[in-house]
Amino acid sequence: MGSTLKIALKVLLRRKFFTFVSLFAVAFTLLVLLVSAAMLDEIFGPNGPEDRPDRTLVVLKAESSGKESRRTGWAGYRLLSRTLPDMPGVERSTIFAEPRQLTTYHEGSKITCTTRRTDAAFWKVFRFDFVEGGPYGAEDEAQALPVAVLNVSTRDRFFGPGSAVGKTLELDGRRLRVVGVVRDVPSLRFLTTADIWLPTSLSRSDAYKKELVGDFAGVMILAPGTRAPDVSAEFQRRLAAVPIDDSRFDTLTASAVPLFGAVASFFFFEQLDSKGPGVVIGVLWLMALLFMAIPALNLVNLNLSRILERASEIGVRKSFGATSSALVRQFLLENIILAILGGLHAAIAAAVVLALLNRSGLIPYSSLSLNFRVLGWGTLLTLVFGIVSGVLPAWRMSRLHPVGALQGRFE
Amino acid sequence: MIRLQDVSKVYRTDRIETTALDAISVTIEDGAFVSIMGPSGCGKSTLLNVMGLLDAPTGGTVSLDGAPIRGYRDRDVAALRNAKVGFVFQSFHLIGDLTVADNVEIPLLYRTLGSAERKKRVAQALDRVGLTSRRHHFPTQLSGGQQQRVAIARAIVGQPKLLLADEPTGNLDSQMGDEIMAVLHELNSQGTTVVMVTHDPRLADTTHRTIRLFDGRQVQ
Repeated sequence: MGSTLKIALKVLLRRKFFTFVSLFAVAFTLLVLLVSAAMLDEIFGPNGPEDRPDRTLVVLKAESSGKESRRTGWAGYRLLSRTLPDMPGVERSTIFAEPRQLTTYHEGSKITCTTRRTDAAFWKVFRFDFVEGGPYGAEDEAQALPVAVLNVSTRDRFFGPGSAVGKTLELDGRRLRVVGVVRDVPSLRFLTTADIWLPTSLSRSDAYKKELVGDFAGVMILAPGTRAPDVSAEFQRRLAAVPIDDSRFDTLTASAVPLFGAVASFFFFEQLDSKGPGVVIGVLWLMALLFMAIPALNLVNLNLSRILERASEIGVRKSFGATSSALVRQFLLENIILAILGGLHAAIAAAVVLALLNRSGLIPYSSLSLNFRVLGWGTLLTLVFGIVSGVLPAWRMSRLHPVGALQGRFE
Repeated sequence: MIRLQDVSKVYRTDRIETTALDAISVTIEDGAFVSIMGPSGCGKSTLLNVMGLLDAPTGGTVSLDGAPIRGYRDRDVAALRNAKVGFVFQSFHLIGDLTVADNVEIPLLYRTLGSAERKKRVAQALDRVGLTSRRHHFPTQLSGGQQQRVAIARAIVGQPKLLLADEPTGNLDSQMGDEIMAVLHELNSQGTTVVMVTHDPRLADTTHRTIRLFDGRQVQ
């Protein structure tokens, strides 16, 4: 092993320019993948209010269609309120709106913020981290009381640091009383993120209550032991019973899908919405592998061209008892060392890029980081890269005939 | 030690067929020092490669220590080469990125030996060729004769019974060549069987026996 490592490092140092080019390609590829992994971790990882992904079903999209018309979008409030309540096998469910931007003025300053209307159950389905106060309850919602929950950044923008519970702010022509403040939720957590949350009943009109396709989503937390397909099937039965009172439409479609698939379909491909984590992770791996393919092929080519300068070494090692498989191991290890060196550079660069991204505000409230999960994926990607780009050259090198290799002939 | 019976080696391409060895039958006893001579292209190196199991014959049988070699499976012949054969090449074939000691250690890397044992054997092999003081040097820092002595140390570090040398003095001046021959003779006197390809009749005369080849056939 010591000799192999020594050889690997010497080989890298021998051709400094090629090593630089290879390392740059490896490091840049892994940098992009590490930053992507950090973003995926922020989207999918169990580090937000959606902390029970394996027991969560989401109804996000709906479509009503007829012979000449079609309407697609998020689900409507009526669709959800007719299907979700008292669903067997469901511990809790919530209906909440997609985020909406509003602009207001506070003490002479213009403030634009993202609001989200929710029911009271929202605060029990999702687990927010309250820094002060608490959520609004069913009573507040029933009476349409003008209350709101703010995130820390929004509290600071309106009132500065310090307690805000009990204070009021003007929003959309109403004066809202702050009942709670929660830690910021990254904007990539698209189901829960907002600056201000307020009861659905505070809407200016009741029109939303009639909509089958609109701007709402529903989330169900399954009781332990409940099978998601059973709940999805019951949802379909209930959906079939929802009357369609718009003559333009005769069909209403929607589905209750696992959280992982719902999030994946929102960010990537719509077709992923009914898929479990296995398929989603498979698709993401495929994308990562495709991204790695070009630099990997480049490295394969570079390594193949190096066979010429390693021929004598291969011949000598074979003459003195190295088997082909021992040589495959040696050359693979050398390539993996190159990939690991690239991975280390990439990790350092990724830490800088993520810190800059967090600071830039490009992704609001992002807390992108190289946590253990991301580093774990990064290590795995590095090894895959090292192996994928090293297998063919290692195999080709190991197959050289010892006599031919010693004579510089390659048959 | 090694026995070749009706060994032939034919290289075939799409258009031509070249017979490198034709019905060679040779027996080399334990402890012998045998030279192989003949004009360029007569099959000397091919014969040496077949004896060292680096190349499989097209026909005939090669037996090492009384056991015929069959199948020439990579793993099997690699293990035999590692255990029983040492090679010395005309152009040394030292790995430039490794120190003298690391080069000599190579055959031991393919055995299950601890690091301390490997170091001990490397030191012994370098001592036998008189290069202990150069163990941390790199090949390019040595003269041709010294490089060939490193190559000999590498060949004997695994204590093989058979040493195959392909024109070991071919790239050296006569004085260095004599030094290398002295080392080979000393190894032979200590019990190692040596087979050497050479063009130099003066060197061949110092061996116990000479095999002469012409156009792939044994003529003496």
